[in-house]
Amino acid sequence: MQADRSAERIGDGRGSDPSAAILICDGLRRAFGAIQAVDGIGFTISPGETYGLLGPNGAGKTTTISMIAGLLRPDDGEITVVGRRMTPNSTRAKAEVGLVPQDLAIYPDLSARENLVFFARLYGLDAARRRERCDEVLRVIGLAERADDRADTFSGGMKRRLNIGIGLLHEPRLLILDEPTVGVDPQSRNAILESVEHLATEGMAVLYTTHYMEEAERLCDRIAIVDEGRIVAEGTRPELVATIGSLDVVRLEVAGDTVRAKAALEAHDEVTSVDTDGTAIVCLLPGAARALPQLLAAVAATEATVTAVEVRVPDLEDVFLHHTGKALRD
Amino acid sequence: MVRLAAITRVELVRLLRDRSNLFFVLVLPLLLVVLIGAQFGGSFDARIGVVGPDGDAAVDAVVADLDARDGIATVAYTDRELLLDEVERNLLSAGLVLPDDVSDTLAASEPVEVAFIAQPDAGSQSLRSVVEAALAEHAAIAGAVAAAASESQVPPEELGATAADLREGLPRVEVATVAVGGDELAQEFAGLGQFDLGASTQLVLFTFLTALTGSAALIQTRKLGVATRMASTPTSIASILGGQAAGRIAVALFQAGYIVVTTLLLFQVNWGAPTATAAVVLLFSIAAGAAGMLIGSIANNDAQAGGLGVGLGIGLAALGGSMVPIEFYPEGMRVIAAVTPHYWANQAMAEIIRRDGTIVDVLPQLGMLALFCVVLLALASWRLYRALIR
Ligand SMILES: Nc1ncnc2c1ncn2[C@@H]1O[C@H](COP(=O)(O)OP(=O)(O)O)[C@@H](O)[C@H]1O
Ligand SMILES: [Mg+2]
Repeated sequence: MQADRSAERIGDGRGSDPSAAILICDGLRRAFGAIQAVDGIGFTISPGETYGLLGPNGAGKTTTISMIAGLLRPDDGEITVVGRRMTPNSTRAKAEVGLVPQDLAIYPDLSARENLVFFARLYGLDAARRRERCDEVLRVIGLAERADDRADTFSGGMKRRLNIGIGLLHEPRLLILDEPTVGVDPQSRNAILESVEHLATEGMAVLYTTHYMEEAERLCDRIAIVDEGRIVAEGTRPELVATIGSLDVVRLEVAGDTVRAKAALEAHDEVTSVDTDGTAIVCLLPGAARALPQLLAAVAATEATVTAVEVRVPDLEDVFLHHTGKALRD
Repeated sequence: MVRLAAITRVELVRLLRDRSNLFFVLVLPLLLVVLIGAQFGGSFDARIGVVGPDGDAAVDAVVADLDARDGIATVAYTDRELLLDEVERNLLSAGLVLPDDVSDTLAASEPVEVAFIAQPDAGSQSLRSVVEAALAEHAAIAGAVAAAASESQVPPEELGATAADLREGLPRVEVATVAVGGDELAQEFAGLGQFDLGASTQLVLFTFLTALTGSAALIQTRKLGVATRMASTPTSIASILGGQAAGRIAVALFQAGYIVVTTLLLFQVNWGAPTATAAVVLLFSIAAGAAGMLIGSIANNDAQAGGLGVGLGIGLAALGGSMVPIEFYPEGMRVIAAVTPHYWANQAMAEIIRRDGTIVDVLPQLGMLALFCVVLLALASWRLYRALIR
């Protein structure tokens, strides 16, 4: 294997400074034709930290991750993994990363073990370690019993787990998981979330993307809220909620003309943002309890009828709404 | 290198695991070799069916004479109707019906009516003239013997034997047939074993076809994201491209090697000088593998690759002389055929098998095949690289 001589070494690399960042990316930009998929994203992940990219479909999460994994050339920006510059040719930087792609990247006509052994070879594990790690990973992903069955006989959840297992083979310093729970039944989903939590406690740095707020809240130490290729807010969950200030969330279930009802609410002085979520209209405003009668009156004036009202403290969805003016889930 | 080998290996395992491939890779090539062998009926001789009285001296003499000529073989028939039928169905090149009283009639110096049955084509006409010549010669001898017998005391049998002896000793006029298409071809293929032609042309066809249709595996690898995932491991892009190329080439070599070995064992096919054949097979397999990799990098789905693979696999093979030998092509077509690697492989194999060519004799063809390898490999690597890293 050709050593990556072009890789610029920043700092001393592996193991010299335990507090050194595992991943540093800065000013990442990438366009596809006229679409600016990633428009200046930068963040840092420390050892043992689980960092989340939370954003709707098309926000630029996968594009960001592809650049970090050395699969896509950034138009601009720098990526450093464990002190090594990541480029498509940087095999040394890639050795530190375990990538779990959003779409299943396994051979359906090979067994679980054959898939693992193949990738273990690509990760450069020698025969003894290959056997040891494949057995271990099969156990971790709960496929030890089905190890020799072809992957195309597996359920969706099992395939997902195998997809994840491949990224764990070489015990990477940085594990990247791109929406690992999409299209998975609730039980498998919980199993996946639990194993990610477990990996994080073992000191692995994890970069986790999702468009599910609950997953980001449950797993991530810090979260970046991503929209249209940019990080609109970043921090721990309390820090993010604090970015809204002391706003309350008012959610009105509306029957009738929701478009005009929404316009009426937007016109209200105290409301800072409004969005629709199905038949519901969600408003952010300070002092909801005091303003509520006025809001109801405004809707009533539009010939729409309010069928249910909810007032609560904000969550990450509301943070997203506040910063982008739209709902996380569409 | 370990990583490159791992990629190659996985691609081969996947090809062999796909049961639906097995028929096309293992069974169909042999079937076609047998079929083509059966069609040429053991040799490229024109077969003439002969109906005539059993054990008749005149008939035996004519048959022996015809058999002795290059490119003609006789087959005895008892039934005139069957003979007609088989000529009509092209199972025989021609038929000859000699009347029961042929010897007596000849001995009486009377005219004999002989039926020559053939399809109305040029080949039949030339056969007819050969048969006529043979008959005329025997009629003349029989007439001479009859005339001599009537004027001497020597019994006709003895005269006949003397005439036959004399004829052996006489300088014969051999009519060598020159030019006119069909016979030139007969010469080109003379001496080929029954399965020799089919085996080498089908090797060329199937090696390329299997390499192309096998490219579906690469498309899956790409579309499944496995190829991209390989690029996320510490595997250099060169190893990924090399592994994929080696995988495709290994598939082609497997197909070629399988055909060589099985036809050698089952049909004792003559594969010519081993080094020369090995060089042709190796270079052609590399070109085929690279073409497969190119399709696998361009096509967007299995169906597209399957269609492209089968279409190009069959089309290029037909153009390059794997279905109908190049020698049957008009001049203009041969020029076009030269754009296919099949053409050069088939020409090389023809040189090796039909004319006992050595590796030196096929250097020009090997050079052209090497050129195909370089161009196709470069194109395929570039396309796959573009598909992996954007
Ligand atoms: N290969 C590509 N070619 C063209 N456009 C792309 C490509 N990949 C992503 N995009 C576009 O870039 C944007 C971001 O996509 P992506 O990074 O996949 O978002 P996410 O993973 O957050 O859903 C989208 O508008 C998407 O359509
Ligand atoms: Mg994505």
